[in-house]
Amino acid sequence: MPRMARELRKAAQDTGEDVAAHRGLVKMIAQWERGDRAPHERYRLLYLKVFSDALGGLSHGMALGTDVAVRLAEVRARAASLPGPGEIKALEAAALAKSRDTMTPAEIRALAADAIGQLHEAAGKLAELSALLGGDEAGEGTP
Amino acid sequence: MTARDDKIRQVVAELDAHVAEVEASVAILKALLADDEVPGEQQDPS
Repeated sequence: MPRMARELRKAAQDTGEDVAAHRGLVKMIAQWERGDRAPHERYRLLYLKVFSDALGGLSHGMALGTDVAVRLAEVRARAASLPGPGEIKALEAAALAKSRDTMTPAEIRALAADAIGQLHEAAGKLAELSALLGGDEAGEGTP
Repeated sequence: MTARDDKIRQVVAELDAHVAEVEASVAILKALLADDEVPGEQQDPS
């Protein structure tokens, strides 16, 4: 709790706000965490800032909610783990090489082509996000 | 909520949809390959 008090105080200083004295803040945090009291709006906003900074994702003072930060991190991780076009083509070739009744060769080719098309769309969206979030993130997580 | 925040939320949602499409297609392709191996594993030894 003393650490969270320090984090809240630092977040408050960054935005030019005042918070309660250290001892009082530690006491309030204990009450919030026990559910005895709910933090006032300005402390909720400071919590949001602390957690957003901890997530490290939202640069340039972006004031998006933590839910978006978490979702963004999750989607980017998924995008980064996608196979590349070459791997999808290899999967397509391997699937075509096997005789099967479930899908025709044309369907397999269409599926792979669609996957590669969607991959390019995802790369475009990642680039768009990088531009929105700041140039220093350009290319991060691009498949 | 600024217009920029709205745009970021929208792009994240679109990215999510594209990623999900790729994941689904790749899963199908992998399943096609895996299907071939399953019958051999499921052969009745008797």
